[in-house]
Amino acid sequence: MHSVTLYHWEPNANSGKPMLALMEKGVAFNSHYLDLLKFDQHQPEYLAINPQGTIPAMVHRDRVLTESTAIMEYVDEAFPGPKLMPDDPRDRWRVRWWMKLMDQWLGPSFSMIGWSVFVGPAVRSRDPAELKAAVERIPLPERRVAWTKAISGNFGAEEMAESRRRVALGIHMLEEELGKRPWLASNQFSLADINGFNLAYALPLAQPTLSNDELTPNILRWLRTIYARPATRACWAMGRTSMVERVKILEQPHIAAGQIA
Amino acid sequence: MSLTLYHGEPNGPSLTVLAALFAKQVQADLSYIDLARGERHSLACAHEPLVAMSIEGEGPVLVADDEAMTDSVFIACYLDDVGQGVALRPADPYERWGTMRWCRQMIERTAPAAAYLGCRAHPPQADAAMLKRIESVDLRARWEEILGGQFSEQKLEDSRSKIRQAAERIEARLADREWLMGGYSLADLESYAWLAGMVPLVPGAFAERPRTRDWLARVEASPAVAQALSLARTPEPAASWSVGPEINRWG
Repeated sequence: MHSVTLYHWEPNANSGKPMLALMEKGVAFNSHYLDLLKFDQHQPEYLAINPQGTIPAMVHRDRVLTESTAIMEYVDEAFPGPKLMPDDPRDRWRVRWWMKLMDQWLGPSFSMIGWSVFVGPAVRSRDPAELKAAVERIPLPERRVAWTKAISGNFGAEEMAESRRRVALGIHMLEEELGKRPWLASNQFSLADINGFNLAYALPLAQPTLSNDELTPNILRWLRTIYARPATRACWAMGRTSMVERVKILEQPHIAAGQIA
Repeated sequence: MSLTLYHGEPNGPSLTVLAALFAKQVQADLSYIDLARGERHSLACAHEPLVAMSIEGEGPVLVADDEAMTDSVFIACYLDDVGQGVALRPADPYERWGTMRWCRQMIERTAPAAAYLGCRAHPPQADAAMLKRIESVDLRARWEEILGGQFSEQKLEDSRSKIRQAAERIEARLADREWLMGGYSLADLESYAWLAGMVPLVPGAFAERPRTRDWLARVEASPAVAQALSLARTPEPAASWSVGPEINRWG
């Protein structure tokens, strides 16, 4: 038994952030997989760990930590290993600025699209009574609304259009920023890159008309460089669903515009 | 290094940053801008991406040499790193995690609610020319809604409930302590900055919370906050509001 246990879903979005941070630091951990699509995160056993029922959560010795970005900062500070925050205070500010944009503005837009095409259809075939009971167990009211919308496919046309606008603008911003330096927020690999990879690893597959080697060469260079890191390989190998296999798109040496239908 | 802080009335995000600046004894040129008139969008740095696309809404900007920084909690972290004296975040990684998590919940849940209620009670005013300068489409849309007086009853009630939840969390947290995290910290500054102006607007949230009211008074009297409040140009700085962060789109 290791001193760290991570409760997580796939190496994707919020779950993947502390997974990859721990692996980059070389911290061994007990992996406790929760199946988001089976609502494991709202079962009493998990609510005893994290009463808000959000994934991920990390237990270090007897302490429970939640909020994936804050967990990553903890992982960086509490364990030896390579530093995942730069030393320069301005660089640190930039790391946090980008993580906030991705966590609160860009990420929710990606996930609204992802939920409408992946999560919603994946759970919709279940027994309606079972789904209703599952939704009623969700502790946070806003998550209850989100799940209800995902299950029913009831995202409004206007909010989907707004999410698509943000995704397109976010891709443009990432491309511009990655043209300034090798990594997203500083000249060294940092938590911002871990955060960003979890958001964008399947970008050329999910948004082929907006991101490819011709339109966004900096993003593709950045994603491939992160994917080549041993920790990333090991982390994505922990995935259990086809969703995370999308990362293999990055093994293609060149993704041309219009290549992926 | 040359530092210039463009700030508004000492309330909300400007208060957090001003108090952090004074607590850490950082020397900076202070330049007042009227955030409630959208004056941030007339600054020379307004179109830099990390200023134009800040999702905090109308907040202060700290210019350090050639870089303009936004987002008050992260500016405060920067000041904590470069300044002197007592740390605004605890040294222990677990307590630091607690501080950052606390601030995240304030940023994400409390700040949008407070700004929404604050703008309804004390509407900001920007003219058409200023609105046109706002580069962020979603920030401009929030301005237009507020200037048009389009406040949804559902969002107002949700916002009041978020303020009640914040006060409830603070009351519980203060059961065995004087400050929210270890000693006087960024968590106190950030929480006070958004909640001080909510006492008259959501009185029920604070009515039976004696520890929270005492804590508000303690933070207000702390030297850094008192110094920030002394810069006020209006008699009631806690009644000065501008457009804030977005209320969660997911519900």
